[in-house]
Parts: sequence; structure tokens; C-alpha cells
Amino acid sequence: MMLNKLNRNEILSMGDKFRIYVLLVVVFITMTIFAPHFFNAWNLTSIMKTVSMNATVAIGFTIILIVGQLDLSVGTIITFAAVIGLGLKGAVGYGLSVPLAIVAGGLIGLINGVLVAKVKINSFIVTLGMLTALQGAIYTITGGNTIAVTDHQAFAISDWLQHQIIPMVTPRVIITLVLVIGSSVFLRKTRIGRNFFMVGGNSQTAWLAGVDSDSYTIVAFVISGVMAAIGGILFAMESAAATLNLGTNSLMYVLSATIIGGTSMAGGKGGVFRSFIAIVTLTMLYNGIVLLGLGNEVQIFISGIILASVILYEAYVEFKHEKLVGQRPELLKELEAAQ
Amino acid sequence: MSDELVKKTDTRSVTQNKFKRIVNVAGIYGVVVLFVILGVVLQALGIINNFLTATNMLNIVDAVSMLGIVALGMAFITYSGHFADLSVPTTMALTGIVAVQMLQFGFFVAILSAVIVGIVIGLINAFAIGKLKVNPIIWTLALNYMTLGVIRVVWANKQIYPDMISSSEHATKLFDNIYRLRFFNKIALPMIMLLILVVFFHFLMSKTRYGIQLKMTGAALKAAKFSGINVEWMIGSAFVLSALTATLGGLTVTSLSRVGAWYNGAGYDFKAVTAIVIGGMTLAGGRGSIIGVLGGVLIIGLMNNLMTLLGVGTFSQDMIRGIIFIVVVGLNAKSLRSMGRDDA
Amino acid sequence: MGDRDTSKPAFVMEQVSKVYTGTIAVDKVDFEVFPGEVHALVGENGAGKSTLMKMMAGSFDDYTGKIAVNGQEVELKSPAQAKRNGIEMIYQELSLALPISVAENVLVGRLPKKGLFIDKEKMVEETTDNLSKVGLEHIDPLIPIEDISQHEAQLVEIAKALGNNPSILVMDEPTSALSREEVERLFEIIDGLRKTGLAIVYISHHLPEIFRIADRVTVMRDGKRIDTRDIGDVSKEELVQMMVGKSVTEFYRHETYSGEEIRLEVENLTRKGFFHDVSFHAYKGEILGIGGLSGAGRSELAQVLVAIDKKDSGSIVLDGKEVKASNMAQALNEGIAYLSENRKTEGLATRLSIRDNILGALVPKLSPNGIYDKKKGDPVLEKLIDALSIYPPDAEREVSTLSGGNQQKVLMAKWIAVEPKVLILDEPTRGVDIGAKVIIHNAIEALAKEGRTIILISSDLPELVSLSHRVMIMRQGHFIKEMQKAECNEESVLLAANGEGA
Repeated sequence: MMLNKLNRNEILSMGDKFRIYVLLVVVFITMTIFAPHFFNAWNLTSIMKTVSMNATVAIGFTIILIVGQLDLSVGTIITFAAVIGLGLKGAVGYGLSVPLAIVAGGLIGLINGVLVAKVKINSFIVTLGMLTALQGAIYTITGGNTIAVTDHQAFAISDWLQHQIIPMVTPRVIITLVLVIGSSVFLRKTRIGRNFFMVGGNSQTAWLAGVDSDSYTIVAFVISGVMAAIGGILFAMESAAATLNLGTNSLMYVLSATIIGGTSMAGGKGGVFRSFIAIVTLTMLYNGIVLLGLGNEVQIFISGIILASVILYEAYVEFKHEKLVGQRPELLKELEAAQ
Repeated sequence: MSDELVKKTDTRSVTQNKFKRIVNVAGIYGVVVLFVILGVVLQALGIINNFLTATNMLNIVDAVSMLGIVALGMAFITYSGHFADLSVPTTMALTGIVAVQMLQFGFFVAILSAVIVGIVIGLINAFAIGKLKVNPIIWTLALNYMTLGVIRVVWANKQIYPDMISSSEHATKLFDNIYRLRFFNKIALPMIMLLILVVFFHFLMSKTRYGIQLKMTGAALKAAKFSGINVEWMIGSAFVLSALTATLGGLTVTSLSRVGAWYNGAGYDFKAVTAIVIGGMTLAGGRGSIIGVLGGVLIIGLMNNLMTLLGVGTFSQDMIRGIIFIVVVGLNAKSLRSMGRDDA
Repeated sequence: MGDRDTSKPAFVMEQVSKVYTGTIAVDKVDFEVFPGEVHALVGENGAGKSTLMKMMAGSFDDYTGKIAVNGQEVELKSPAQAKRNGIEMIYQELSLALPISVAENVLVGRLPKKGLFIDKEKMVEETTDNLSKVGLEHIDPLIPIEDISQHEAQLVEIAKALGNNPSILVMDEPTSALSREEVERLFEIIDGLRKTGLAIVYISHHLPEIFRIADRVTVMRDGKRIDTRDIGDVSKEELVQMMVGKSVTEFYRHETYSGEEIRLEVENLTRKGFFHDVSFHAYKGEILGIGGLSGAGRSELAQVLVAIDKKDSGSIVLDGKEVKASNMAQALNEGIAYLSENRKTEGLATRLSIRDNILGALVPKLSPNGIYDKKKGDPVLEKLIDALSIYPPDAEREVSTLSGGNQQKVLMAKWIAVEPKVLILDEPTRGVDIGAKVIIHNAIEALAKEGRTIILISSDLPELVSLSHRVMIMRQGHFIKEMQKAECNEESVLLAANGEGA
């Protein structure tokens, strides 16, 4: 009886954990077979470029979901950091402007975190407001123009970031991988890391055990801001330009990927590495769609559908589960016997 | 607590009588008046011009009638405890562009098509959120994105113009008039639509069985279910209402811009939620009123107007609106918590 | 009982008081517990026992009076301080995090480390160790809490508390959601803990349980300590008297019933996996009790009768007509109503007013053409507030500010208001003080006298036995026995519920 129930739940949670790897393989194989020019060094490198940025952001976003919150402002933080990092290069050089950009991201995260944890405003509201405010700020600062850096040093750095150490692996990719693996290990294997899960699982419990959920929530937002900033500024440095819609699509990417990768919106469950794999999968998928000649618009449409499907699937599973909750196995056996 | 102990508790914050509600709404309109006074003062000080003119006042109401229409419908969603409808921007765009596209078959066909599309979107949301209980924010966000994709795929990223497609000049004129028709040379059609909606929706929310049951759904979902209320239907209907007002808003915005495009309606999600929240409706559901939301809409209109007159750039306005939004919700949350309730 | 070491108390509260603005919640109370003793704390709602308990938990930093643990005077001004002094609390609401593993819940805040990282093996080992103290050593520590049963989760909660090596354990209503078997198991564990020298404070409404498990009992009323007695030296009646402050005779009624018309006929009702082949009938004006252990399927049966859940097969006939309701609104229309056992989550809208709640199910009737006339509900409202002595009698008052007993009265009023033909009550006086209990019982009997049929689901045996005219026993999804008034007493009902004495 209990054994049966365990097996079913175990299978479901294993499914949760491994489905993203299965999806990765499926998408990869499909695209390799069907999409022209998919499987070559140049394209794959290009894929990794986008992956690097979004995967970094996804690290922070995953942690936010784990503590049971939502950060809708990540897209604008990406752009904001890029604008600051590149915009200030002329005045103070990368050495100062890049750290400043990252600190700026952290500060925004701090504001978000304090408003959510201390003033106790719903994170949806806070980050929605922040998103709007930042958008306005970005446009005001840049006057609506792309920021490009054209000096020697900028190009040198841009080249360096792009060069392939081994096929497909550029310095940016390495940085991203280090961050992903580092945070994954941190979350899964350190006390502080596990505490994030507890805060998301039941903040009262966490508090009673001496784990200050408010602080952890604030830290989660700061990490999200920092990661978004890192992702944005690195991407911009490589392109030597900060466009105003740099981070616009990222929210969808990161949101879909994190959820598809198995991190729960309710908090207390999830994984950074899975989010990373999901980003790789999604990026490959979108890339393939474009290569198949289907155009950007189809990509937007598909990304919406994928997110919707995942959410629907999870809701459906929950829906069915609710109906069966509380069924007594002995009674069910009786029915079987009667037949 | 025993009965005697209860008696001595602070009674100020524990009743929900009419008086308190009136005070709440009055407070919102008080802020409206405050803004007007601010404008007058600024004008008197010579910092701005033309604030207190009939034209300007009408401009304000004009500008917010579209926002008001959309916000009033979305208010039902907030009232039901399901936050907001983030698919409104693309619903507006889609219904607008569909209407323009269908103008080739005449005005009424165009409007009908738009309404059908709006209802379909509303029903999709109703099913996903009402029946399957998906997170409303994530879902409507995803749907928004999907609809955007649909628009851009079907219309191949192009914009379409009413006068070019329309079956007749008459049809074009009618469509144009959605935004531009004026009564007595002053009062625009959208404003009339808004007023009608205010009256109708206020009645719907506060004096009908539907409204009372919706309130209970927002205040205590499970208890509502165990009182015989069909909560799935309640929640679903709120999303359909929101989609319908988004359709109306979309038609108006498209009429205003005279072009069917994917960006009509951009930003309306955030503006509507801001108006709703400033208008005294808490995100937890079951509290607030349509009159209050109207007040919130007026406050936003006044705010925008003043900022424009002060020469604040559009994007800076965005920034300020974002900050004010957070501040209002925060203040609301704080005051409720100090009274011992965690509402927002 | 009697293992306690009376030489040195483990925990002493001397003349402690706690004042809220304008009210004295705890008034100069003395309280002590010895190691190896189970000391019960009883009192009506509002008597101050939860405040006293919160004081022990370190929830207040502004109490007055002295507190000593193991002879040493201490300050309990924060939960951390309470824990440091060896006091562990077990609350009614579980403090576990559902998506997180058992091990991480049990060892929260003190996961074993190996350098920078968590020592997984040690974690599993320590957890299993802790779990064995409550008989759960067979559970895999790595599965999330949401995968184990409610009862096991509660035991995990205890294991978690024990893991901190407390000298004092405070349990608040630990049995309210447990079946009889589970209660037995819990008592065994408590017995074992007592033998290890743990001092246990046991807060409960259930007098029979207290007589089973406690060594001493302290009665509180109106914030004061009334008396502390050895359990062998006091009777149930005396305790009730002390709790209520007046002699409560005739507390439980004994009405016999002689009705004839059948109102409700249920035949072969089945909901797969919840209850099978249930058949019974109920008369007009009858109070039909349904007894059984928790998990027997009683609430599920009720929810199908009132169409919240769908039946799989069988028929329900009300006053000769088959009930075809497919949702609760229709069932209400046909005259069947249900008062849920979860008053806070399924019964009341705590953020709304008394008016909104009492008229909550009556709205359809009060708005014939869709338009709701506020004034229409006033007469019903006034009548019910008065009839049930709801305090404070202010219709606009927010329900969350009412005491438990008054909240339950509001819930009761809600269902009386719809004037149902059949009213199913599920634990109508759970967590309710004696004064409110009497009022609700009177109301139930008044309803029956009016000719309505009451189906009473209750785990409160005295209540079930004294109010019901007949009792049906449900066990594991089947109706196994019908008992007439004459053969009903607490023991026989309990035996039947356990499947014995058939």
C-alpha cells in the first residue's frame, strides 16, 4: 500500500528530474537531422552565446523560484547593467564600469528583496513595478540609442571573449559553466544552500529553526540581480554594444526554462543545473526553428506554447492527483476483486 | 479569547461597515482632488500652463477612458483574488488588428469578429485558470507571448490600415469614430463607454448575486466552494469580462492610432493593475469597488497629465509610475498589517 | 503513571502574567512540571492556556513573573531562548516543510557537515536514529514530507522536537486530527518519553484522554489558575465545573425519538476508493449520528451527499424524489446542506464580516432575479445572532476577530439560515468552548424538533452518544452497524467503530 504510493510518487518525481535531459537529447537529434546548417561549429557556437547569457540569469531566477518568489525584472536588469557597463567605459574604463554594472544589478536586487521581504509586498508587484521603472530609466539614460563601444580595448576584449578555446567553448561559456556548476553544488550540498529550499518550503519552519527567511529572500533577489547583470554585461562586452532590447526576450526564456527544467513555482524544489540544461534545449529549439526557415515570429509563438504546455501539464497532473487524493487502496482492491 | 476579552479589542479595524468603505473611497477621491489642487498651484506659480482649462481636463478624461475601460474589466479578476490579466496588451492588439482586417466585410462584421476573438481568449484563460488552476500571472504572461507570436506570424510583421482595407468609406468612418465620435462636440465616445461601464460594473459587483459571490470567492476560495458557489465559473467569468473590456479597449486604441498592429495595447497591463491597486482593491481579493478603481484611473490620468505638462519625458514617466506603484502597494500593505491583517 | 521525580521540578512558572492592551490574558499563574510527568492543562477557549503556552514558547518579551528551568531562573523572551533552555513545542499545525525531505526537516538548522559540504550519510543516519524514537525507522529519510501520511508527519514533528534533546515538551492538542489507533500509538510514545524523564505539558480539550495519559491536571479560567489536582483525585464533572465556573448538570441530554416518516433514503452509494455500498435511511426530525474512526470515509460520504464530489453509483432519495444534484448549489436547492469540519479553511471566510458569512449560502435565495437586496437578509441575521448568542452581536464584525466558539456559531448560523431539509454536521463543536458547545447542541436539537433531519458526524463520543437518536458506525468505507439509542454509550460506540463487538 504505502509501497505502491511511494513508487508512483517516486516515478513522478524522477520524471520531474530527468525529463529535461530526455528533451535535450530529443531536440538535439531532431534539429541535427532536420534543420539545415544546425550541426556545425559556427551555429553551435552561436547557440552557446545566447545560452551563456540566459543560463547565467537562470541561476538567479532558479534560486528566486526556490524561495517561492518571482522576479519579473530580470530582463530589464540585463539591459540596465549592459548600458551602465558599456556606457561608463568611456569615462572610467571596463575595470571600473563592469564592477559598477554588477553592483548596480545587485542593488536593484536588494531593493526588490527588501520590498518583498521587509515591506511584505507581493514579489509579482514589486518586480513588475521595478521592470517598468527600469525600462523608463534605461530609455532616459540612453535617449533611446544603442550604446556602442568602439575603442581598441573594447574590441580586443570582445575578440577575446569570443575566441574558441576548444570548439564551441569560449571564455564566456567557461565563465557561465563555472557559475552554473558552482551554484548547483552550493545549493545542493551546503547548509546555506539547503536553507534556501527550506525558506521556500515553509518559511515558518525555517524561522523557528533559526533560518532567517527574510534575509535569505533578500539574498536571493540580490543574487538574481547580480546574475542578470553578469549575463548582460558579458554579452554586451562580447558584442561591443548594448542594444535596448538586449534583455527583452530573456524573461520568457528564463521563466520557461526554469519551469520546464523542473523547478517548482511553489518553492522548495528545483535545480540550477536542470535550468541550465533547459536553456540549452530551448535555445537549440528556437535556433532550429529559425534555421528551418520559420522565422522569428514562429519562434515567439512556439516559446509561448512551450511554456503554456508545461504549465498546463503540471496543472493537469495536480488536477488529477487532487481527485484521487485520499483513496483507500484496500477499497480499490475490493472493487477489483468483485470484478 | 473569551467574550469579555474580545470586547476590549480595538474595534476600529474590525468592522467592514458601509461607513468605512465610504471613507476608503473618499480617500481615493481625496487624492484625486489633491492632484487637481497641485495642478492649480503649479499653474498659479507659473510652472505649468493650461492645466485648468476645459480642453486639458477633457484631454485627461479622454486619455484615461481607454485605460479605464480595460482596468474596470480587469478589476473583476483582482476582486476574485487572481491578481491580474497580463494577456491584455496582446488581446487588445489582436482584436484591433482583426477588426481592421475584417473591415473589408463591413463595420459590423469587423466588430463582431473582434468580439469573438476576445471571447475566445477570455475562454482560454477561463479554462486554464478557472478549471485547471494554473498560476494566473505565469499563464497570462505566456498567453500574451503566444498571442504576440500569432499576430506576428499571421500578419507577417506588417501593419494594416483601415482605410486601405475597408470595404467602403462608410465603414472606415464608423471605425474611425470609435475613438473620435463626439457628443455635443466635447464628450468622446470612449468616455461615454467608460461611464456606462462604471455604472453597470459597479452595480454588477456590489448589488448582484454574481458580485457578492465573486467577493466571497476572492476572500475565501475554499469556503466559497463549500457554500455552493461554483468558483471555477466565477473565476473564469472574471477573465472573460477582462478579455471583453480588453476588446473594447483594443478597438478604441486601434481606432485612435488608425493602424492595426501588434504593439497596440502595449503597457496596458501594468497601467491597469496600477490603477486597480491605487483604486483601493487589494490583490488578495474580496475587497474594493469599481468606483474606487475609477478613482485610481483618474489619479493616473492626472499624474500623467501633470508630468507631461511639467515636461517629463515619456520614459521617465514610466519610471515614476513604476516607483509610485510600488509605494502605493507598500503603503497599503503596511497599513493593513498594522491593523493585524495580511492582505496585500 | 507515577514515574515522576517530584524532588525537583523541571519547569516552574511563578506568578507569571501577560497583559495585552486592555486585557489580562494570564493573571499571576503558578505552574510547574516535574521530570517524568505528564501535566495536563485544560480550560475553555479564552481561559488563557494558549497564552500560557506561548509564554513557554518564548513568544513574548514582555511578560512578568519568574520562570525557572531545572532550578535555574531563566528568561524566555524569544523562541531561540526557549529552545536553548530545552523547551520544545509541538503545535497543532505542523511546522514541517512539505516539499523538503524528512531528514532536512528533522535536522533543520543543524544538518551535519563535512567541511563545507553536507554529510549525506551522517544525515540519513542521524535522521533514522531520531525517527526510531517514534517508531518510524522504516521511513526513507530522503523522501519529501508530502509523500508520507498526515499521521506519520505528525510523528516526524515529534521526532524533530526530540532531536533537540529537550527537557520539557509542550504538546498542543496533539490528537485532534488523529484516529483512535493513532492516538493509542501516540500515547505509547508519550509513555515511553515520560519514562526517560522528559517533562511533558499536555494541552487538550479531551477530558477522557487526559484521564488516560496525565499525572496531574491544571485548570485555567479567565486567565487565572483555578486549581491543580492529581488525576486520581478528581472527576470529570469536577473538572468541567472548574472550567466553566458553574455547575453544569444536564450537560448532555437524553432525548428519545419516535418518528416515522422517512426523509432520506440512500442506497448502495459508492465513491470508488472512499466508501462502498453505503445504504441507510433517516427520518424526519431525527438526529442520525455517524460514528467511526477518522479515515472511515464519513466526511467523504457527506461531501457526496451534498454533491461537492461525484458519486460513482447508487441513489439518494429525498422525500420520495431522487436527488439529481450534480453540484453543491443544486444540492442546496434540493434541501441538503453540509457544515464542514474545517471551519477556518472550508467553512468561514475569515476576512469577511459576520453578515457576509451567515448569509453566504443564502445569497441565491435572497437575490431572485440576480439582484441582491442587502436589507432582505437583515431579519434572518438578527434572529440567528440572537438565537445563537453570537458575541459580539455586530453583524459587520470581521469573523477573524471572534473566538473559536463564536466562529463556530457563525458557521452554524450560516447553515441554519438556508433552512435545509437535511443538515449534515461534521464535527460541529471541535475546538469550541463549553458555553458555545451547549448553545450549538441546543440549536441542533431545536432543528430536529422542527422536523429537519440532522446527520451528525462526530468524534466527540459523549456528544455523539447523547445527541443522536440512532448511530450508524462507519469503518473503512463501509457502514457496518446500526445502533439504537438504548445500546449506545461511549464504550460500545468506540468498540463498534473499531470493528469489534459486532
